[in-house]
Amino acid sequence: MTHSIISLKNISVSYDGEQVLKGFNLDIHDGEFVTLLGPSGCGKTTVLRTIAGFVTPEAGDVFFNETKINDLPPHKRELNTIFQKYALFPHLNVYDNIAFGMRIKRKKESEVKKTVVELLELVNLSGYAHRGIAQLSGGQQQRVAIARALANEPKILLLDEPLGALDLKLRKDMQVQLKEIQQQTGITFIFVTHDQEEALSMSDTVVVMDGGEIQQIGTPIDIYNEPKNAFVADFIGESNILDGLMLEDFKVRFAGHLFPCLDKGFSKNTPVDVVIRPEDITFVPQDASHIKGEVTNVTFKGVHYEIIVDVDGFKWMIQSTAYQAIGEKIGLSILPDAIHVMEKSDYSGTFGDYSTFSDEMEEDMILEEEAELEDENEV
Amino acid sequence: MKMKSKIYTFFIFLFLYAPIIVLIVYSFNDTVTGSRSVWGGFTLRWYRKLFEDRLIMEALRNSLIIAFSASFFATILGTIAAIGINSMKSLGRKIMMNVTNFPMVNPEIVTGVSMMLLFVFAVSLLNGRTLGMGTLIMAHITFCLPYVILSVLPKLRQMDPNLYEAAQDLGCSPFKSFWKVVLPQIMSGIITGATMAFTLSIDDFVISYFTSGTTQTLPIYIYSMTRKRISPEINALSTLLFAVVLILLLFANFRQKKAPSEKAAKGGEV
Amino acid sequence: MKSKSKMLSAPYTIWMTIFIIVPVILVGYFAFTDKQGTFTLQNIIQVGEYSNVFIRSIWLGALATAISLVLGYPLAYIISQRTEKMQNVMIMLVMLPMWMNFLLRTYSWMTLLENNGIINNLLASVGLPRVQMINTAGAVVLGMVYNYIPYMILPLYNVLNKIDNSVIEAAQDLGADRRSVFLKVIIPMSMPGIISGITMVFVPAVSTFIISKMLGGGANLLIGDLIDMQFLGSAYNPNLGSAISLVLMVIILICMGIMNQFDDGENTGGMLL
Repeated sequence: MTHSIISLKNISVSYDGEQVLKGFNLDIHDGEFVTLLGPSGCGKTTVLRTIAGFVTPEAGDVFFNETKINDLPPHKRELNTIFQKYALFPHLNVYDNIAFGMRIKRKKESEVKKTVVELLELVNLSGYAHRGIAQLSGGQQQRVAIARALANEPKILLLDEPLGALDLKLRKDMQVQLKEIQQQTGITFIFVTHDQEEALSMSDTVVVMDGGEIQQIGTPIDIYNEPKNAFVADFIGESNILDGLMLEDFKVRFAGHLFPCLDKGFSKNTPVDVVIRPEDITFVPQDASHIKGEVTNVTFKGVHYEIIVDVDGFKWMIQSTAYQAIGEKIGLSILPDAIHVMEKSDYSGTFGDYSTFSDEMEEDMILEEEAELEDENEV
Repeated sequence: MKMKSKIYTFFIFLFLYAPIIVLIVYSFNDTVTGSRSVWGGFTLRWYRKLFEDRLIMEALRNSLIIAFSASFFATILGTIAAIGINSMKSLGRKIMMNVTNFPMVNPEIVTGVSMMLLFVFAVSLLNGRTLGMGTLIMAHITFCLPYVILSVLPKLRQMDPNLYEAAQDLGCSPFKSFWKVVLPQIMSGIITGATMAFTLSIDDFVISYFTSGTTQTLPIYIYSMTRKRISPEINALSTLLFAVVLILLLFANFRQKKAPSEKAAKGGEV
Repeated sequence: MKSKSKMLSAPYTIWMTIFIIVPVILVGYFAFTDKQGTFTLQNIIQVGEYSNVFIRSIWLGALATAISLVLGYPLAYIISQRTEKMQNVMIMLVMLPMWMNFLLRTYSWMTLLENNGIINNLLASVGLPRVQMINTAGAVVLGMVYNYIPYMILPLYNVLNKIDNSVIEAAQDLGADRRSVFLKVIIPMSMPGIISGITMVFVPAVSTFIISKMLGGGANLLIGDLIDMQFLGSAYNPNLGSAISLVLMVIILICMGIMNQFDDGENTGGMLL
């Protein structure tokens, strides 16, 4: 294992008496692309600001390359931040923005020029050197912010929801570009987002957070396939989460039936949460399955249909390329490797079926979350 | 650092308020010689004398008449003009904004003198009356107008241009849409403009000085008093004026706090 | 619809033409004619005789502006760092003195600065010698700073308050210490406020005629006093007065033009408040 470039040990932070982080621990390895993922208010931005030095923890230590840096002010830390709204200097043009850090360090102007030209090329902005900041589009400003942060040759780059203000298409492009830059430079990236898709597609390691605590750390594939609790299962992708009973190894009972599964290591008759991803369920004729239900809602999603099936009052979500008509009575088939068993947690029961599901509501919730997020950042 | 900035703030405010405190304290000074700086005991004599002074009361009355009529006309004319300017294209708008900004950057004394020339010229042409209340009100309307326009324009710019159309779409006549939809949106700007116009008018000395002829306004009367050896009546007068302003400000502040602040409303849209 | 609402500004245009544009033209007309109304350059030439008054006015005005900037900037910065509630209170305290008639406030400085005034009495009571303060150029500058410093503080506060905290954090993040943050980010970003503050103090200071009369005695004549004398004073001569006004106007316009060179032109509306 490579050594930790950043180590947070027992960090506690609170704002106005409200505890945001409590006894928080995190190790980040050199050269990794790490994403802190979680809903707004989960403390992910606070973690980032603690690493950058803008937040002084009440308790706990911050280590950089095994050196304690608790009392090191932000301007002396060997890392740079890309701010959510970029925080470019409006009184300077593109060139001078990128040169800012190097000039503070009193580098030779010839050296400054060389680096700026290189960086402009890296972020595809050659020829924009003497534009004013206000003349740039959001995506271009974003890339100037990246170049400005990289100019200081940081060991670590902190990115605070850097793509949040961009539209979807641009966002996808920037995701690819950021990943490329990270691989080219080999700098450790610590990336904060509330967008799970972004986190899964870019990161080496994903840290899922909620309520100021880490819910799960792992590779994107682990996080998706082996969520540790109902929160992670629900937050990452779509999930049908059911109450279950682990009878013995490889045998789990839920939805009134016994299913073979691949999970083991629970003691006998342990209550568990069972997760089944909507794309892992297939439709069969009613007679061919234990789980029988009626289609209550069908939404066309382009690649597939999103189908809600009512099984004895529990609403399942199934993603399928096969169309089913509303009112149709069908059976659901679940293979053993589609079943994922989790230990019960505080989140059990808070997430579950899709009985209140509607597309519109989901959009509302996303909008709400984004509004909240903005509020949080205003503070 | 914190301590240093507190001390600094204290000294700047001391500098700003020292003369005002002196004025107020000496309005209660019981002096026979009329000395400005020797303390002779507490009295309310100067306040009594102030209200018996017919000249002061007449000057006050003139100032109030001028301030009310000037701010009234300037607010109406300025609000209408702001709506017109707001709907202009860039060139026309630029010209209008320059005309509006001009009296604000031009030295007051030059504005005063130039209007004096105009009024003297007009009087000689029309062979009519001399300078007085009429010319004062016209001059005051003129220097108040830009302030009204610059208070109303930003509100108009903030307003969703579709609102006016939406109102008509829902069946309002153009006039009614203006009255029911546009006006409430820009009301706070109009009130700010009117308040500024009123205070600027009642406080104006330089322009009034050149356009008043023999009419006395309060500032002009104060000026004529400062040129002689002054009676502490003037201190009593200034104390009263300051108290009135203070009460009005506190009242306005109180009212503002009761209504949801504009800033909070804006925050919700972000 | 649009073309109709444009017409709404017509009454205003007419009003401003009569009361602003025509008077300025009249000033120009008087400046270039003699008492009989024939064209002459005599008045403009005569203005040259008063160049010492012009130089004194500009010098004292510039001095007062510089002092206001140096005193006002720290206060504006301190205010911008406070909580919003505290900011409102402090800004109201800065503006409140302006609501008292400025003649009265200036008059009060006479009481303070006189030879047997309050400050001198205080000095004497602790055994120090009395100082000549009233009727000096220093008193005139003090009066200017006192009267116009709020016009410096307000625009400065407005720009300082608008600086996004994340921009300051970004500068720290890029290695700037307190000093560099101040010199390389805060000062340059407050430039529009500095420019409007300087204009809003310099213009009234250079053209004042009350402050010099009340605090400067007879010895510190300024341009404003000169103009006053030509129109309402002993030296009645509106033609010369107009010429002086015209020169003053041109000087101010040139100064503003120079100042605007430093501004990037984004702040045309920020003049007022």
